[in-house]
Amino acid sequence: MAKSADVILKVDRVSKRFGETWALRDVSLDVYRGELLVLLGPSGSGKSTLLRIIAGLETATSGRLYMEGVDITDLPPYKRDTSMVFQHLALFPHMTVYENVAYGLKIRGVPKEEIDRRVDEVLSLVRIRELRDRKVTKLSGGQQQRVAIARSLILRPKILLLDEPLGALDLKLRKELHIELKRLHEEVGNTWIFVTHDQEEALTLADRIGVMNEGRLIQVGEKWDVYDYPKTRFVAEFIGETNMFTVSIDDVSGGVATGSWKGFRVSFKDGGFRPGETIYLSVRPENLHISKEPPAGEEYNVFHGVVDVEVFRGSYVIYHIRLDNGEIIRVTVLSKDAEFDPGDRVYVYWRFDKGVPLRE
Amino acid sequence: MRSPTGESLQRLRIFLSNLPASAYIFIMFYVSIGILIAISFTVPRKYVVEWSFTLENYVRIFTDPRFLSPILNTFLIVTVATILLIIVGFPIAYYLARVNPNLGIKLIFFLIIPVEVNYLIRVYAWRNILGENGFLNSLLLSLGIIDKPLSFLFYSWFAVVIVLIHEWLPYVVIPFYVNLVGIPRQLYEAAMDLGANRWQIFTSITLPLVKPAVLTVLFIVFIPSLGEFAIPSLVGGESGIMLGVLIDRYLSDFRLAFGAALSFILLLVTMGLSILMIKIFGYEALYQR
Ligand SMILES: Nc1ncnc2c1ncn2[C@@H]1O[C@H](COP(=O)(O)OP(=O)(O)OP(=O)(O)O)[C@@H](O)[C@H]1O
Ligand SMILES: [Mg+2]
Repeated sequence: MAKSADVILKVDRVSKRFGETWALRDVSLDVYRGELLVLLGPSGSGKSTLLRIIAGLETATSGRLYMEGVDITDLPPYKRDTSMVFQHLALFPHMTVYENVAYGLKIRGVPKEEIDRRVDEVLSLVRIRELRDRKVTKLSGGQQQRVAIARSLILRPKILLLDEPLGALDLKLRKELHIELKRLHEEVGNTWIFVTHDQEEALTLADRIGVMNEGRLIQVGEKWDVYDYPKTRFVAEFIGETNMFTVSIDDVSGGVATGSWKGFRVSFKDGGFRPGETIYLSVRPENLHISKEPPAGEEYNVFHGVVDVEVFRGSYVIYHIRLDNGEIIRVTVLSKDAEFDPGDRVYVYWRFDKGVPLRE
Repeated sequence: MRSPTGESLQRLRIFLSNLPASAYIFIMFYVSIGILIAISFTVPRKYVVEWSFTLENYVRIFTDPRFLSPILNTFLIVTVATILLIIVGFPIAYYLARVNPNLGIKLIFFLIIPVEVNYLIRVYAWRNILGENGFLNSLLLSLGIIDKPLSFLFYSWFAVVIVLIHEWLPYVVIPFYVNLVGIPRQLYEAAMDLGANRWQIFTSITLPLVKPAVLTVLFIVFIPSLGEFAIPSLVGGESGIMLGVLIDRYLSDFRLAFGAALSFILLLVTMGLSILMIKIFGYEALYQR
């Protein structure tokens, strides 16, 4: 991506302590101009805290923030060119849609005609122009959502911060809004940082994903990279499904490491490993194959087992296979190729280079 | 489906089980008010009620300036006291709820304690402070700020307002406190994030959202205070006279018809004001933002 070079926000070794708990530990992050960065992590991992520090609603215990090269660490929220859409929206209940959306401009003393014009513009953008004079307490969840986003967007912030804005909505509506949010981001063209604990939401929305756990930012990257090359077990298991094998390495040669996992031999790409080391090998279910005959060729790891359970998911099927060593692994197969039944004896195999070895 | 007789039996049972309570309310409340209203339209006589219809009492009340001034006085005193109560009570509630919430949660209970002290004791306490030989006058005299005791401090309009404020302050602080504590912190943060400074947040978010507390205060302080008679008769003197005192005077003088007419006017006014407020703000305003 060409825009990758242009860092709009630099988070430099930020930590935050609340009493005894460290909500953030030494987080560093570059945010690129115009991107939609999703921060993903389980509950309590520090996502909101990081967002609130960027917005200026919380002060960092240590570390600095730079926006376009300028140190903004000590600026109050109203002097920052960011705007936040809150986890519970925080619409002003005593105001109409118009009054909510116009709030920021009115505070800044923008003339009435310009406010009117810009409110109409932004309400059209989020497609709720007809609700302009409705009380916000009389709106549906999805409509309130749009008001909250419009209220921030109207200020044309350099960075829009969204803290699980879809958290309260049902799954179907969320999915619709995902598409709309992507369209909106394209249209507006500013930088968004979107927080969620839902990996599917993250994969749908993101250009890049940052994965957080226990106050640490574990990995940041293009979403494909994070999905295909997770850096830790936590990332591999949190984003998407995976099979995890604990392998003791006994041989490293010719760029290939080999070891054993509960009686099976497995090989994978060497990552500077030494014999005697124990690593975790992550293999995505969609990278596994099943057949009744053993595969031809040297480049595969091959297990043998019995089909235990078949889970039909519409376009694909998940097979749970009980291997000969008693472990269960999951394999996904497109429905049109799903020709196995529980009880069938099968071979499960994958190419060496599809396994991702992880040290932690 | 239940048979018609079963249904009416059920109704009868409900009716009978509610009867004692309904009868009690009806007799003690509506019947006595009915009697009061009836008496207010009888000829003014001392000691007796002479049952013949007349508007004489009302005509006198509305034409004789001696009655008009206590009525206006009542409104003035109660309005001033309510405004001062809000001016004093709101900042206290704001401090306890927003500025120092840790202290607030402990202190709010202490506010309730004075309510438990009998008001007579409180009135005597105020006499010791505000009276001619009271603490305040002694202090000002000994400091040489005045050379004879200030008389307007006690048995006056001023004293009624002071004692009313003392009496009602917890009833003002508590609704405001509860109201303020109930405003989600995120609203303030959102306003701040959208560019508002502290003062703008206060005027655009906090003030509009304490409307329920203001209404509560109007209902539980302003309206009941219109009928206050103990405080003005104990500390009010002539300048602090209120409608309640007047009613009390006529009734203890056994001029029943006249007292009844004054009572009915008070009743109408308080009812009218209540209905007006409900019409303007709606029932919901008391509990909804
Ligand atoms: N104001 C606060 N006071 C004390 N502890 C706090 C405060 N805010 C957050 N924390 C703690 O900091 C940690 C991170 O919280 P944070 O709200 O950032 O998590 P999150 O990733 O946003 O979680 P969620 O997905 O549940 O919103 C948690 O352990 C939380 O309990
Ligand atoms: Mg959060």
